[in-house]
Amino acid sequence: MSDQLATAMADLEESTVLKLVRQRLDAGDNPMAILTSCREGMTQVGKRFEACEYFISELIMAGEIFKQATALLSPRLKTDAIGSRGKVVIGTVKGDIHDIGKDIVVSLLKAANYDVRDLGVDVPPQKVVDAVKETGATVVGLSGLLTVAFDSMKETVAALAAAGLRSKVKVMIGGGSVSETVQQYAGADAWGTDAQAAVSLCNQWIKEVGK
Amino acid sequence: MNNEALYQERFARIQKAIRLEPVDRIPVVYMGVAFAPRYMGLSIAEFCADPEATVKMNLASMDKLGGFDGINLAGAGRITAVLTTLWLSRLGVPGRDLPPDSLWQVREAEVMTVEDYDFIIKNGWQAFLGSYLPRVIDMTEFGEAIGWLMANATRCVSTYHERGYVPICAAASSIPFEYFCGGRSMQKFVFDLHRIPDKVQAAMDAIFPDVIGQAIGVTRASGVNGVWVGGWRSASALISPKLWNRFVWPYIVKFVDALVAAGLTPVLHWDQDWTRDLARLQELPAKKCILNPDGMTNMRKFKEIAGDRMAMMGDVPAAMLAAGTPDDIHTYVRDLVRLFGSTGLILCPGCDAPINTKPQNMEAFVAAGREYGKGV
Repeated sequence: MSDQLATAMADLEESTVLKLVRQRLDAGDNPMAILTSCREGMTQVGKRFEACEYFISELIMAGEIFKQATALLSPRLKTDAIGSRGKVVIGTVKGDIHDIGKDIVVSLLKAANYDVRDLGVDVPPQKVVDAVKETGATVVGLSGLLTVAFDSMKETVAALAAAGLRSKVKVMIGGGSVSETVQQYAGADAWGTDAQAAVSLCNQWIKEVGK
Repeated sequence: MNNEALYQERFARIQKAIRLEPVDRIPVVYMGVAFAPRYMGLSIAEFCADPEATVKMNLASMDKLGGFDGINLAGAGRITAVLTTLWLSRLGVPGRDLPPDSLWQVREAEVMTVEDYDFIIKNGWQAFLGSYLPRVIDMTEFGEAIGWLMANATRCVSTYHERGYVPICAAASSIPFEYFCGGRSMQKFVFDLHRIPDKVQAAMDAIFPDVIGQAIGVTRASGVNGVWVGGWRSASALISPKLWNRFVWPYIVKFVDALVAAGLTPVLHWDQDWTRDLARLQELPAKKCILNPDGMTNMRKFKEIAGDRMAMMGDVPAAMLAAGTPDDIHTYVRDLVRLFGSTGLILCPGCDAPINTKPQNMEAFVAAGREYGKGV
């Protein structure tokens, strides 16, 4: 990795990451360059997860450290200078209030420089439709732990179709018991077993369709 | 054959499966706490309000479906109060906090604080529960629920026996990791494991003897030999080996050893994927435990790595029961029976048949168990 900050981020050294961010800010370093270092570390976290060196416990911790680092940086970052890779609307579907998996996906997508509209939990289909219209997002992420979420996922995909948005968005689903069977049942484009899969899917789709 | 004779025949069959001895046919057991009221036409709100409903609905569902040898967890009492004690979390209750026919849900929130670890280390588990439970449940409601359980649970559980069904477990417990994870919320608890590991471990060690003692006491009082040793957030797929080897596995080993020493049967009710650590099952007493996974742990690897160590009760996936077809269920059950043969298999829905299990899928599960499980 290119620098000490990226390494500390990848190694989940919370206090070191925050100390280095403060030091580099105090030294007048470009906040965007500092953010890039943090993102480089997060990319490494994702790779370690894919290599089974890290697990969900490490993704949760990495998300927390990244969140704290960006909180230090955000007052000095010019919003228009950031430029995202793409827009994603995400939420835990209606009837389900579980947010652990969804929150990990959100933090990894943000770390990968996606503009994420997080709709929270127990999200009705119309709210997803409205958010896609407002943001122009090209990816929708639907999360659910309970099997009752399957019907809500299906209803949400149907609502996107009814609103004439289905061909404009890719829909990915994830959560405890989601599978290929559920993907077909819900009419989604893909399903993922873990949070890193969501980032990979977005990267692939954004490359295919552009922002 | 009268019910007592049926019970004895089924009990012997299940015991043989646990001891990894060949059986005349594979035992098929029920598990569908939320499926039962939906299947029998009772609203979930009514189900949650009536402490007798769990037993009534389970039995009605089992009778209607037919063909079961027993039930995985013969629960009794108000489900939401019971779950509160297992998760140390507030629950959304249908008819009160949620629509009347929706599923109850654990509300993921940081209720237990970092300071609570200090309190636990200093004052112990029971003192902590006394101060903590009012944060997650109305104590009048809780008192009524516990009072009812103490007066009626054993009677309710014996009803299964009277009807010819074998209850494998009647009590559920878990390792300290799960209690703290529920109380702190998973995110905050993971932070604790990284930031204050020594304090978390000291608190775990402080409560563990009480947790074990309570599990043994409740199980003995139930008159049923098995007890769940639950694992959901502590699964191998979620927790890195470094944390798992310190905060999860040593507690599972100690818990299982204590239960076996007390003459009980630990049922490792493990949600999520535990494949990474299946080899560790070799460290547990042989033919004394049951692995009870939910369809996510690799059964081929389990059979290869630890199939000589313990039986498997499961593991038709909840998603398949809800979104799959009867053909999917038949194929899954057939493949399980082919994999295990006549030893070490107890067919059961993985974790718990969910509320929206298609009735035809549950019927297919029983039919497939009967078809493929005979004469193996």
